[in-house]
Order: sequence, then C-alpha cells, then structure tokens
Amino acid sequence: MIRARGLTKQFPHFGKRGTETLAVQDLDLDVQKGEVFGFLGPNGAGKTTTVRMLCALIAPTGGEAWVNGHRVGEQDRAIRASVGILTETPGLYAKLDAVTNLSFFARLYGVADIPGQVAKYLQMLGLWDRRHDLAGSFSKGMRQKLAIARALLHEPPLLFLDEPTSGLDPEAARVVRDFIDELRGQGRTIFMCTHNLDEADRLCDRIAVIKQRLIRVDTPARLRQQLYGHGVLVRLRAVAPEHVAAVKALPFVQDVQQADGSLSVKLDDPQANNPRLVRALVAAGADVQFVEEAEHSLESVYFDLISETHEEESA
Amino acid sequence: MNVNWFCVWAVVGKEWAEIKRNKAILLMMALVPVLLVAMIVGTDYFMLRASAAGQDMDEDELPIPEQLQHLPQIEAFIIQMNEQYMFYLLLIPMTLPVYIAAHSIVGEKETRTLEPLLATPISTWELLVGKSIAAAAPPIVLTWISFAVLLAGLWFAATPAILFYTARDVWIVGMLLVSPLLALLSVMVGVIVSSRVNDPRAAQQIAGVFVVPLIGLSLVVLFGMVFINVSMVIYAAMVILIVDLVATYFAVKVFQRETILTRWK
Repeated sequence: MIRARGLTKQFPHFGKRGTETLAVQDLDLDVQKGEVFGFLGPNGAGKTTTVRMLCALIAPTGGEAWVNGHRVGEQDRAIRASVGILTETPGLYAKLDAVTNLSFFARLYGVADIPGQVAKYLQMLGLWDRRHDLAGSFSKGMRQKLAIARALLHEPPLLFLDEPTSGLDPEAARVVRDFIDELRGQGRTIFMCTHNLDEADRLCDRIAVIKQRLIRVDTPARLRQQLYGHGVLVRLRAVAPEHVAAVKALPFVQDVQQADGSLSVKLDDPQANNPRLVRALVAAGADVQFVEEAEHSLESVYFDLISETHEEESA
Repeated sequence: MNVNWFCVWAVVGKEWAEIKRNKAILLMMALVPVLLVAMIVGTDYFMLRASAAGQDMDEDELPIPEQLQHLPQIEAFIIQMNEQYMFYLLLIPMTLPVYIAAHSIVGEKETRTLEPLLATPISTWELLVGKSIAAAAPPIVLTWISFAVLLAGLWFAATPAILFYTARDVWIVGMLLVSPLLALLSVMVGVIVSSRVNDPRAAQQIAGVFVVPLIGLSLVVLFGMVFINVSMVIYAAMVILIVDLVATYFAVKVFQRETILTRWK
C-alpha cells in the first residue's frame, strides 16, 4: 500500500537565502494492506510532513514513494483519489449542515451515489439525526466523526488519520477507536499519527518512531523485546541478598533488578527457563508468591527510543 | 490544461451555499446596487422636476461637451452626471468580488478547511476557477441587473434623450465587457491579498487602491474633459485585460497546494 525509499523533505527558510529546514530525512517505510500502522514522534518530528507527502499534498525534495501503486510526484491526482485523510483539525464548513459538508466532498471525490454514501456514513457514525444541523453547532466529538465520515465517503482502501482522538472526551475517543477497529475489520489500511501511546499500543499492528529520520519500526511487542528483552517479575515474601546472588549465577539471566519485594529478571527464552529460575530461588530459600511477565509500556519504549536519539545527536 | 468542470461547479455550489448564509455579504450585495440605482434615478427625476418648476440648478457652471450641446441644458447636464454615475455602477464588479473572494479564502484559512479540500483530487487550478466564478458571477449579474433596472427607471423618471444617452452602445459594451474584466481583477486581488492577511476587510481595503483610477476617470468625464465613446471603452478593456493577466499570474503563483499548506498563515 505504501512504499517509501529515502523520502526527504527540506523546507527553505523564507527570507534567508541558503538556509533550509530538514523536516524528514531518508525515510524508508513499507506499510502492508490491511495493516494499522502507527506513526509516532515528538512535535516537529516530521509526521505531518510525511503524511502530506504520502497524500501528494506536498512534493518530496528527495527519495521516492508509491501509494496504492501510484508514484508520488507523478500520479498525485490518482493518489489523492485513492486515499482518505483525517487532518489534525476536522476542518469543516461551520455554516453548512452535515449533509452539505459531506455532499460537497463526495462530489470532489467523484462518488457515484452521493446521497447513499452520505446517509451510510452519517448513520454509521451516529450523526443521522443531526444531519440538517450546521457543522458549527456540533461538539468536538461530533465534528471529528463528521470528518472521519468525509474521509471515508469514496471508500478509500488507505486511510491517513492525524491525531484521530486528540482533544476528545474519553467517551468520544472510545467511539472513534472502536470505529478504527471496525475499519481494520473491513480490511482497510490505516496510517495513524498519534501522541496517544496507549491508543497506538491497542490499535496498531506495527509502529514507527520517527524524529526527522526513522528511529525504529516494528510491532509493539517486538519493540519491547528489542529494548528490554524478555522480562519476568518474581514476587517473593521477602528479598534477601542470597536470592539475588542465586539468580545472577544462572547462565541464562542477563540482568536482575530488585524492587518492592520483587525481582525483575531479564532472561533468555522465559518459557524454557522460568522453571529453572523458580527452582534456583526456592533452593536459595526464597518463598515465591507469584511469577508474571514483566510489562513495559509503549510509553517507556517510546521515551527510551527518543532519548537514545537525543544522546546520539548530542554525541 | 485538463479541467474537471464537475469539481469546479461543486466548488461554485459550495461557495454560493456559504454566501447565502453570510448576512454581511448578502446585505452588501443588496444595498450597493439598490442605493446606486435609486440615487441615479432619484437625482435625475428631482433635477428635471426642479428645472420644470423654474428653479436654478447652476448647470451653467459645468462645461458641457460638444456632443451634448444640441440638447436642452438641463438634459445635457443630467446626461453628463449620469456618465459619471455609470462609473459608480462599475464599482459593483470592482468592490464586491474582492470582498466575497477574501471572505471565502480567509474563511477557509480560519476553519482550516483548506487541507482536507486540497487533499481531494481537485487541482488548485480548478479550485481557483471555482472560487473565482463564485465570487465574480453574482456581482457581474448584479451589475447587469442594476443597469437594466436603471434604464427601466430612467424610462419612467427621465426624458427620452437622457434614456438614449445612458442606454447607448458605450455603456452596453462597458457593462457587458468591462464589468467581467473588473470582477476578474477584483477576485485575483482578493486571492493574492488573502494569502497574506487573515481579515477579509483588510483584503478589501488593499483592493480599494484599484478603485482610484475608476473614480479619477469618472471625475474627468464629469468635468467634460472627455466624452466616452466605444473605442475608448474597448481600449480600456484591453488595458484591464492586461492587468488581469498579470494579476492572474500572481494569483496562480500564490495559489499552489504546497504554498497554501506551508506558507499561508
């Protein structure tokens, strides 16, 4: 669905000759059909610029990209016809009602059955009863839903969502998340920029972390594994130094941390080695209460990756 | 250039739907022509009545061009005044489109609708054409209607000679040819200025500069220095066309997808 190689965007500094801002640098991406792809990065990391390049809104200054089989820069109109985009702000005509807003965009996308498609998405997103109300009178959540409906009118196989739940109350955010899940069920490909790491963790099949250039891309689970390895949390009645020493002596253990009556153990192949770990602890006189998989939030993965980049940059 | 007219008319339809809900624009579109036509017809009517009643109108103070000297003095005086008023009628396609275009573009900037709009398959050229038609067509039609209503009013309120001179080929060509060219110039100025400002009134004030030559020309006519003929109107139309082309070139330059998304603030 999306293939980018060395995608780069430099913006000239207007008024200052010879200076340029590097927004995106040498970005390689492959997004497969039916995938929910999370695009994470701090403010100014180049997320929106990347989306704009992939939606053929702005031209790359380097590299190449194909979207839905169309080459960016050569078949821009075909790209725009084949993707749906939810921009960071809903961008609706406040003085027009919901139906007129959607019908206008449906005409631009060349939708064949405009009333049918408009009705379908207004009903699907629970806006049918407010269809003749001005978009300006809608709540933030309703506006976001109307903007999502607009992005889907022409049934694009690929959808770009820029901060889909930003600024929404928890209930509205949940409706939007459930809808994204529903779209995944329909086999659509979703490219989602978000700062909500919990949302990315729940919805995305794979995640890319960028800061001008690509830092890492993988499934959330593999990102955790790459960063933290396999971890096990062993809760003991009381932790003694001999327990820690016994664990450290095991050949498959990479690291042991002690905290709050627990041992956080980083080890190879937990399925095979957990029984050996428990036996070693019992032999050292420990009273084992629980053994559970150590949880690392996507948030900690994200911050570690970003701080690694900061360190590399300052070095 | 491949233009998808379906997209263009979709933009025109959307713009007009928004105009219908904008009371400020509707009021301006209604008031300006009504006041102008009422002023011209009313002035002609009361001056004729006053003259018939023997009141002194000081018409001797205005130099009458030789083309009108065969007419009774009061009629020649009124015709000369109407010549000046015709320029005011041309202010409708000069002032209203810039206001509508500026409102439209600044409105899109304020509501952040430009990005989703530019993300559709529409080309920037189609979008510009759609917005231009939407902003220019109502004032042009309004100018023509005002001219027709003015002639109808003069038929009732003035003399045949006054009606004849006001309805002569000069002003028919002027209204049909010059008003669309002025409207196009007005729209393009609206587009260029709107790319830099966030207030439609600011765009209108800047575009007000273009009204000055028109007012100046009207004064030249009023003081009898020139009596407009068809060839003058055609020459003027050619000059406006050249200015239009220059303005369109700059409007197209600022109205590019990437420029709009990254430089318009």
